[in-house]
Amino acid sequence: MTNHMIDLKNTNCALIMGSNMAENHPIGMKWLTRARLDPKRKAKIISVDPRFTRTSAIADIYCPMRSGTDIAFLGGMIKYILDNNLWHKDYVVNYTNAAFLVSNAFDFKDGLFSGYDEAKKAYKTDTWDFQYDSSGKIMEDPTLQNPRCVFQLMKKHYERYDIDTVCKITGSPKGKYLEVLKTFCATGAPDKTGCINYAMGITQHTVGSQNIKAFAIVQLLLGNIGRPGGGINALRGENNVQGATDMALLYHNLPGYIDSPSNIDAYKDLISYIRKTTPGAAKLNFTNLAEFRELVKAGIPYSGWKANTSKWIVSMLKAWWGNAAKPDNDFAYHYLPKRNDTKNYSHIAIFEAMYKGEIDGLFINGSNPVVGGPNANKEQDAMTKLKWLVSLDLWLNESAEFWSYPAWERAVKNDKVPHHTPKDIQTEVFFLPAAAVYEKEGTAAQTGRWVQYRWKGADPVGESKADLWIINEIGKRVKKLYAGSTRPEDEPIVNLTWDYDNPHDKEEPDIMKIANELCGFTPADNKPVEGFAKLMDDGSTACGCWIYCGCTTWKDGKMVYKAQNRKKDDPGGLGLFPNWAWCWPVNRRIIYNRCSVQPDGVTPWPGDDDRRLVYWDPTKPADTTKPDVLGTWAGFDVPDFIKTTGPDKPAFKDPFIMRGDGKGALFGSQMPASSYKEGPFPEHYEPLESPTGPIINKVVVNPAAKIWEPEKIGKTDQYPIVATTYRVTEHWQTGALTRNLPWLAELVPDMFVEISEELAREKSIENGGEVIISTIRGDIKALACVTKRFKPFLINGKTVHQIGMLWQFGFKGYATGDIANRLTPHIGDANSMTPEYKAFLCDIRRA
Amino acid sequence: MANMTNLYDSSKCTACRACQVACKNWNQLPAVIEHFTGNYQTKESTDGDTYTIVKMTEYEHPVDGIQWKFAKFQCMHCLDPECMKACPRGAYSKTETGATNHDPAKCIGCQYCTNVCPFEVPKYRKREDKITKCTLCADRTAAGLKPACVTTCAPGALEYGEREDLLAKAAERVKYLQMNGFPNATIYGRTELGGLNKIYILTDSPDKFGLPVNPQPYGQVNFWQNWVQPYFGWLIPLALAGSAVSFVTTRMLANKHTAHDAEHGEGVSE
Amino acid sequence: MEVTRRQFLKVTGAAAASFGLLDLGFDMTATAAAVKELRIKDVTPTPTVCPYCASGCGLVVYAEKKDGKFVKLLSVVGDPDNPINEGAACSKGSAMFNLREIYDEKGEQVINPKRVPKPLYRAAGSEKWEEKEWDWMLDEIAKRVKETRDKSFIHKEKIKLADGSEQEIIVNRTEKIASVGGSGLDNEEAYILSKMMRSLGVVYLETQARI
Repeated sequence: MTNHMIDLKNTNCALIMGSNMAENHPIGMKWLTRARLDPKRKAKIISVDPRFTRTSAIADIYCPMRSGTDIAFLGGMIKYILDNNLWHKDYVVNYTNAAFLVSNAFDFKDGLFSGYDEAKKAYKTDTWDFQYDSSGKIMEDPTLQNPRCVFQLMKKHYERYDIDTVCKITGSPKGKYLEVLKTFCATGAPDKTGCINYAMGITQHTVGSQNIKAFAIVQLLLGNIGRPGGGINALRGENNVQGATDMALLYHNLPGYIDSPSNIDAYKDLISYIRKTTPGAAKLNFTNLAEFRELVKAGIPYSGWKANTSKWIVSMLKAWWGNAAKPDNDFAYHYLPKRNDTKNYSHIAIFEAMYKGEIDGLFINGSNPVVGGPNANKEQDAMTKLKWLVSLDLWLNESAEFWSYPAWERAVKNDKVPHHTPKDIQTEVFFLPAAAVYEKEGTAAQTGRWVQYRWKGADPVGESKADLWIINEIGKRVKKLYAGSTRPEDEPIVNLTWDYDNPHDKEEPDIMKIANELCGFTPADNKPVEGFAKLMDDGSTACGCWIYCGCTTWKDGKMVYKAQNRKKDDPGGLGLFPNWAWCWPVNRRIIYNRCSVQPDGVTPWPGDDDRRLVYWDPTKPADTTKPDVLGTWAGFDVPDFIKTTGPDKPAFKDPFIMRGDGKGALFGSQMPASSYKEGPFPEHYEPLESPTGPIINKVVVNPAAKIWEPEKIGKTDQYPIVATTYRVTEHWQTGALTRNLPWLAELVPDMFVEISEELAREKSIENGGEVIISTIRGDIKALACVTKRFKPFLINGKTVHQIGMLWQFGFKGYATGDIANRLTPHIGDANSMTPEYKAFLCDIRRA
Repeated sequence: MANMTNLYDSSKCTACRACQVACKNWNQLPAVIEHFTGNYQTKESTDGDTYTIVKMTEYEHPVDGIQWKFAKFQCMHCLDPECMKACPRGAYSKTETGATNHDPAKCIGCQYCTNVCPFEVPKYRKREDKITKCTLCADRTAAGLKPACVTTCAPGALEYGEREDLLAKAAERVKYLQMNGFPNATIYGRTELGGLNKIYILTDSPDKFGLPVNPQPYGQVNFWQNWVQPYFGWLIPLALAGSAVSFVTTRMLANKHTAHDAEHGEGVSE
Repeated sequence: MEVTRRQFLKVTGAAAASFGLLDLGFDMTATAAAVKELRIKDVTPTPTVCPYCASGCGLVVYAEKKDGKFVKLLSVVGDPDNPINEGAACSKGSAMFNLREIYDEKGEQVINPKRVPKPLYRAAGSEKWEEKEWDWMLDEIAKRVKETRDKSFIHKEKIKLADGSEQEIIVNRTEKIASVGGSGLDNEEAYILSKMMRSLGVVYLETQARI
């Protein structure tokens, strides 16, 4: 979330799209209800969803939309905003790249952007860039009239997304769609803010990243980023998925969202790495850190806050390898694993490799791919090729028992689906019973980046143990096996700092030791570093994850973990609660908050005095030790800005400090390094399995998406019905943590599929009766929930049925049922490889 | 002393059913797992170990389209409770704060209350041979806490307070709803059965929520009070011996049977 | 617990009774018998955070203790102090008690029978689990990790440089070990897991954020 849960109370309008917030993030409704009842806000709630949900039931407006057509829906919204002059002008001109002139080589034709390589199924992105003047500065037209400026190109791009065309694709009733456009786009007024709340309904598509990019364009045009009640709010689904991402339990990152290196020239040593990961550094001449530091001091154009990347990576290396990380050995940079740059290592790739027998050992920590993985028949089959599996969980979930007899029972006989028995599965399985959340202690980062402490309130059941203990023990034992090795390839383990035992109780790890390392300390005295601005790239600081730096401090002779803060003051009444827990980065509750004040840095947006988060105060010093230097950013929230950047500095109106150019990106250029794989503007493409041909362009499927299984693409002749998967409020994720709880099994005891009354009539399906759902990948059985809440769509003049089912069932627990993911495809988003769980083709019949 | 009660606002409820679980959590009730029959609601009504449920009803409005109406459903703590009049052992009483209290120590499991209740709320708990129902969290409220369902409600659809205050609040809210898209919004519980001690703000007529529009006491109550109750001692053995196929005993035996089945996961509510 | 009329008046905060006892049929003995003692009375709750969605609702654990030692749960409910949820909890959060303990069909409070009290091992080709000691399990896992890593380790690789020449660089990776999950871990746990996996050279490293 750019904003946070409580901040929802400050909104004038919430667009809930790709999320079923009332069911899956119920507490959000507490705050939206407040916004709705607040006479100052009178908030409206909009629910856009293929079916009428419990969120829709409480919304002011419900608009149906076929799964997988979000960009069409939002493209129409962008056009509506532009056509009707609803965009927030001062915001767009000053805070976004609308005025930037785009390279003349950039083009879009027949559904493809310039640079497409048909053979490689990928884009060369060099034309997705701006025009520069002779000094290397990006050229701009603040009047937004130049036909090559971002604003005009965007206008042209979305010209095709008229309401009729959009509704032909999405199947939304025109009247309802218009009502959504009118209501949400009204937040473009300077005294209004609107938020977009999304979840997996947006990301789990072949165009997932571009869906979010479309949100970004809408919200930047309406001036809704960096302001209370605004934002693009990713409602994250697991209690610490934010933290696990921060700690980089993902192949492509190191902790704190810095690149994980691969085996290419640009990552071959520390200096190359810094050159690659520091925006703007590629064009500069330096051969060592000392030279680089001089360049940073002088200022690297378009580098933004990421000019500090060298400090983050060196401090992390120092935290991991301690004394073995020295200035003369690149701080042990060579210890880091380098990926094969041509390979993908994401979830789907892991199971594809496993399926081919390329992986011997697998750790599964509190996850359940046999239920939650896409194409679960294949993923379960892949696991049979493992030599060993280590499973950490509270329960014997479906993945821990993937080898058992019930695991291979199927609803119908299908020769194309693999079958095994325990006897032919040669995988050794180690099941390590883990303690429950309140049987241990530690911190978790919630969806608004608040890092809260959880204290231990009960003893673990039986001999179950906290994961911290388990991981610490495995680490200790592996290190012991390598102790004394002099082989260079073993150095990363031999020299790894791993001293976490509690000095008073050798049996238990000391959580504060880990907190100190994670949040940053000075090796000289072992005391916390007070904020990431103080991290260094000379080895004098160590920090496991720079964005958490500042969460620890030294007070009264001991370390204080700010995640434990429990004070409830709320200056400004905006729900920021700065002394409740701690929030990364640097306790900033709403990121990009520079946008909550006008470009002059002082004046609130007209009519919006009470939602100004920060402002420029020319009368106070930024640094109390330098009282003569006046001028600082101040306010209710921690400014998302360099405190001393005043009106005399060119960056004064650049609120997006993590971006090289400081501007919100309406156009996703190749500069800085990250860019979208399928184009600078989101374009609608159909899901891999689609009920229709192309409507708005000539390309059907995302041209940059990797097709893993070309032979496993369902077609409408056999599978004419659109299917999607989702959760209910009473169960969580794969159900391991809820189907084992009797009170929740009682609420939703069985696997069911939701079907419209029209489709049920056509197929003679009775409410509550058993049905079989089939895709090209498998079949499952479920109970029918025949409902008025699903309606057939009219797509390009043709009736298209859609059904939806829970993906939360499996063969273990008090509530059991078939696994919906046996139906879903192995294809991911072109950028993130997030599987397309949300739209595929199926057929359904009475069992 | 003032009647203390719950106000339920259907315009705020998201049917997350936290109240249903919080009730079990506080009252230490086991789960009664029954199969899905085509509605999210799963349970048709309360049972011996389930004091509250959320009714979930869909219907299609000719203009506004599909609607999904939610109503928390539990003992209504009627101001003039039929169960209390009917109970042969005086197990029911009204507390000073308006709750209809059921004393399991006095209950003999005869289940007559289950039949006379216009909402069919009190249910038989086989394992103890007792009747159970919502207590309005007597132990919590006695200690100054709110009922468990109210405390847990995320969107603030439940409030606890003095009945008169809540009725005033409800009137104001209903007026607002009537002017903002819910012309049929109404208060439920002000006058029904002489007044309920659970107040509802409904966005439409009660039938859209699965609630009786004009609940009536069963006619049998008077008959029972005047004629049967004094002779209770001999009626039951007589009935059990099968001498009379009375409404009372057949329903009672049916309940004993149902409760037994439910415990084995096969039970169906009526 | 004997509930007196005085207590009743005090806790409900109601004004002086305007009806006589008989008017409402108020029966003190019946009420007293029915009102159980508040089982969390005088128990200090322990704050935690809900393990389900990432909203970050606070929960508090009430537990019975004897001589400072944990005995059993009394209740787990929303944390009234946490500003995110102000004491509220959805159906999942309200069921947190069940994560450890349940009421069985007789209404008895027991440990959730689905929880696993001991480490379990399933041998290759076996149809069943065997209970094992922690030490054995952890040592065996460490051995498997070392064996697999050593056998598959890629220490150095020749790469092409930008100028077309070749150079051998250290790549320190194994593609034979993978790790998935961890979004339910605490930060400290996720951090040391990420660090450990990378020191081993694991590149197939994924959490639920992707799926």
